[in-house]
Amino acid sequence: MANVNEKETLLKVEHLCQYFGPTKAVDDVSFEIKKGEVFGLVGESGCGKTTTGRSIIKIYDITSGSIYFKGQRICAGTKAYKDEIKLQKSLIKELKKSGAADASERIAAANARILELKTEIQKAKFDHNHSDREYAKTLIKQAEEEYAPKLEAAKNDPALLSAVQKEFKDQKHIAKNTKLITQIQMIFQDPIASLNPRMTVREIIAEGLVINGIKDQAYIDEKVFEILELVGLVREHAGRYPHEFSGGQRQRIGIARAVIMNPELLIADEPISALDVSIQAQVINLLNELREKLGLTILFIAHDLSVVKYFSDRIGVMYFGKMVELADSDELFAHPLHPYTRSLLSAIPLPDPHSEKNRQRIVYNSLAEHDYTVDKPTLREILPGHYVYCNDAEEAKYKKELGL
Amino acid sequence: MDKILEVKNLKISFRTSGGTVKAVRDISFDLERGRTVAIVGESGSGKSVTSKAILGILAGNSIIEGGEILYDGKDLLKISEEEMCKIRGDKISMIFQDPLSSLNPIVKIGKQITEAMLLKNKTSRREAKAEFDALIALLQKNMVAATGSDAKAKELCDIFKKFCLESNKLENSYNNSYSTAMAVMESIEDVSFRLSKNQKLDAKTELKSFAGNLKKVTDPFLTHNYASKLAAAADAISKEASAYDKKQGGLPAGLEKVLNETCELLKEILDQERPDFFEIGFYSLKNPGANLHEQSVAQVNQMCKDYLINNFMKEFIELEKQGVAYSYQQALEKKKALLQDLQEAETYFKGEFDKKSALAYAKTISDKVEASIDNLEITKDSAAYTFRTSLVSGIEKYFYYKKNNPKEEARFARQSKKRDALIARGKNVDWKVVPKVVFDLNDLKNDIVKAVTGLQNRYQDYIAASDNVDYEGRAVEIINSLKDKASKAVYKVTPAMAKEKAIKLMEEVGIAEPRMRYYQYPFEFSGGMRQRIVIAIALSADPEILICDEPTTALDVTIQAQILELINRLKAERNLSVIFITHDLGVVANMADDIAVMYAGKIVEYGTADDIFYDPRHPYTWALLSSMPDLDTKEKLDAIPGTPPNMIYPPVGDAFAARNKYAMQIDFEAQPPMFEISETHRAATWLLHPEAPAVEIPKIITDRIARMKQKAGGAQNG
Repeated sequence: MANVNEKETLLKVEHLCQYFGPTKAVDDVSFEIKKGEVFGLVGESGCGKTTTGRSIIKIYDITSGSIYFKGQRICAGTKAYKDEIKLQKSLIKELKKSGAADASERIAAANARILELKTEIQKAKFDHNHSDREYAKTLIKQAEEEYAPKLEAAKNDPALLSAVQKEFKDQKHIAKNTKLITQIQMIFQDPIASLNPRMTVREIIAEGLVINGIKDQAYIDEKVFEILELVGLVREHAGRYPHEFSGGQRQRIGIARAVIMNPELLIADEPISALDVSIQAQVINLLNELREKLGLTILFIAHDLSVVKYFSDRIGVMYFGKMVELADSDELFAHPLHPYTRSLLSAIPLPDPHSEKNRQRIVYNSLAEHDYTVDKPTLREILPGHYVYCNDAEEAKYKKELGL
Repeated sequence: MDKILEVKNLKISFRTSGGTVKAVRDISFDLERGRTVAIVGESGSGKSVTSKAILGILAGNSIIEGGEILYDGKDLLKISEEEMCKIRGDKISMIFQDPLSSLNPIVKIGKQITEAMLLKNKTSRREAKAEFDALIALLQKNMVAATGSDAKAKELCDIFKKFCLESNKLENSYNNSYSTAMAVMESIEDVSFRLSKNQKLDAKTELKSFAGNLKKVTDPFLTHNYASKLAAAADAISKEASAYDKKQGGLPAGLEKVLNETCELLKEILDQERPDFFEIGFYSLKNPGANLHEQSVAQVNQMCKDYLINNFMKEFIELEKQGVAYSYQQALEKKKALLQDLQEAETYFKGEFDKKSALAYAKTISDKVEASIDNLEITKDSAAYTFRTSLVSGIEKYFYYKKNNPKEEARFARQSKKRDALIARGKNVDWKVVPKVVFDLNDLKNDIVKAVTGLQNRYQDYIAASDNVDYEGRAVEIINSLKDKASKAVYKVTPAMAKEKAIKLMEEVGIAEPRMRYYQYPFEFSGGMRQRIVIAIALSADPEILICDEPTTALDVTIQAQILELINRLKAERNLSVIFITHDLGVVANMADDIAVMYAGKIVEYGTADDIFYDPRHPYTWALLSSMPDLDTKEKLDAIPGTPPNMIYPPVGDAFAARNKYAMQIDFEAQPPMFEISETHRAATWLLHPEAPAVEIPKIITDRIARMKQKAGGAQNG
């Protein structure tokens, strides 16, 4: 997997927090997805993996943290800043009361910090709401830079100049209308619930294009047929309704709907959990093909570990809103370090009666396993590319286990 | 082996607007006591339909075309709804795929879990008492007939009856104390752990409840040496409880010491040897007021056992043996005489007959058959017990279709003609002709004859085996069955006990904070949690057979593993038999002893778990195995192309042929028979025919089997 590390980062999640009232669904999660890789996210139900996926695609407004897609910040939360402002204000109050010698200096510093934070909040809000426009601006800039020398070169040839100018105008138009967020698409878990029963397959698949302002019916039809064939359905299916299809075919429609937007990142939220065995294999093979053909990057959320292992390059393990371990998939299965990962791996059912009958499941109890009263844990890199959520004592222990 | 459930030649179809869907086409399998049969297949292969037929909850448009499901001497397909209600949920329980549809939304889950326990409680006590009385009366009758002496048999039976119930009362009180002590010990451990971790907890109330519960541990057999110590422990705990400082929290050293000591004391109490109440019951009946608690348990057990054998059992078993032998011989004579009648019946039903006389004839012959049953047999001979129902229902079905077939044909012809005429006139016809349901009368007649010949064969086997019958074994079996029934007759579940049991079950299925959750409504739980509640409910009634219809498909791995472990443990503890329906082969490998692979309503391969995973023979099994990745899979998965066939028009040949890359010409032309591969393993594929060409198993499977064997070998060496 060395080559993946050198590739550019497509998606970067930094200190993502998503709270629903008092519930911390996702709490301070950071990871990166490189271009072209499949990143698996596993964990038990309710651990926040689906929430992470949905936060990335902006279904929720995130509480705190930032998400960068292709270098552009697309989501930003403000809670962390607000908390710090509160902290600074209470600090100022205390300082005023105490009347220490350097009080006025420190108050000034705190005030400056508050101002800084306030601008940060404004920036975050701006980025969160205007990421598409900002991205379009950078694209236009790129186009301008690209065409400036060309225009310069064609200055003396009016015919060529008008042609280049026309091309430049088209490019600018495309750049202006490009929406960054449409390049992230999602496949949902339940193919029955996620398709509108009153729309034909053609309407469902073309909906994204229509919303993006394409009005050319012939173009839409052509595109829909092309995608249908790509996902292993036939043209005739376009006129039918979702209920006329089997589970596997419905999931293919869901995939087609996502792929037609020509996304760079596909978030697959348990795309096979609701399907039959034989159809699961079909869908996995299809996703693999699409990945090769279209160069997709996939965030694969699932709880079936054998499938995640088979499909993913890197895997992140989540537990109660925290990322507890993150590593290359082979590395993770060869050297699981965090006790929760070990317990998860020990629970995988395998098609082998002998090993199943002798299986020893490891039980994980976070209270009994860790003592975080004094020494607080963070996500630390134990081996290159292998991160574990631990504190100092545990880090030493893990390193010793690995013989470092 | 002891078969608890037999499914024989089951055929089920569904009437739909498109035609009759053949959902299950002639499947047979046996479920043995304490084993798990897994049914594997894609959706639509008929696995859920089979399980629903066993429970008698098929949809209204279903047609049972034939077959039998034999359980406890009854054919579940033919008994009345009233009888089925006694079996469903009590003896045979089911965990459904969708937890939402099996929970009542407006009843708190605690009530839903305890409901079955409490409901079952009273009736099952009454029933067990009745059964106990009936069996012992029958035994007495046979003893009297065998020996000719009335008084002796009556005396012995009365004594037996008395001390059986007496001993169970003693045992009941012992068990109550035992489980209370156990519960207290476990919750003390839990509470002290949580306090030491500074968790939020209402420690005062908890501690007080410990003190209260400790006072309930009073059974003299359990506490004879410890009564004063227990009282002291209870006092110490309640003192600590009132002294506990809520604000400070945590686990003070004094409290910790008291809790630890109590735990050790309880452990010591619980580790004592268990008294044998069956023997003790007799001793205390004969020597009322004898103080047994002062000696050690081992001594008491030995003494009571000797006492029972010398003073009662020898005599009783001797007499009982005679009774059993007498009953057996009587039944044998009748069976021998009946063979001739059955022969006549066979010729009668092969010939022509009208309904009235046939039913009358069926009645006389069934009466004779029922008279020939040895009632002292504990394992019931299902062929004889279900003879009447299968014969009568066969006759009625035959005459019903004899009358209705022409009508149905005529209706179908009339409607088709009308439809064709409309189409010919260019009308837009938007309705379909309701498909016809007709049965081949010869088949129906054969079913009747088969009921007779089946019994005939059965009786011939019985007579052939009559020379070496183990009367002593049978006598002991009867005593065990009586013991069992007596214990059921006095076993009383109070609401408080039911609650404790429910909370324990909730804990076992992995619901955190069960005491609080006990009072919540189903909608307050997530999907996985709901499924666990459904499992707890299914287990709460202590069923004999548990049907699991994809119980863990919606759950994640750790929970799935917990629940599978739970089912496996309960299976071992309660000698539960399980029918496990799933499409996840990893789960099957964990659970199953035997596996039936189903495709398009037929069993295509049947064998033990080892047979199916290490030596699969049917191409469909290969396809299933190779379409799922395991942890070492790197290559492209072999997905099964296409979809299952339309079961309105089932294929002529092998149903899997169209999707099978190994299919031969004959697969499209004729159904393959079941080929026996070994005693436990059989498969229905033409590839096993001696003249079939040899084919290679897909590489992905051979590789995996090699890997698995290597691993198993390594484990044995290492």
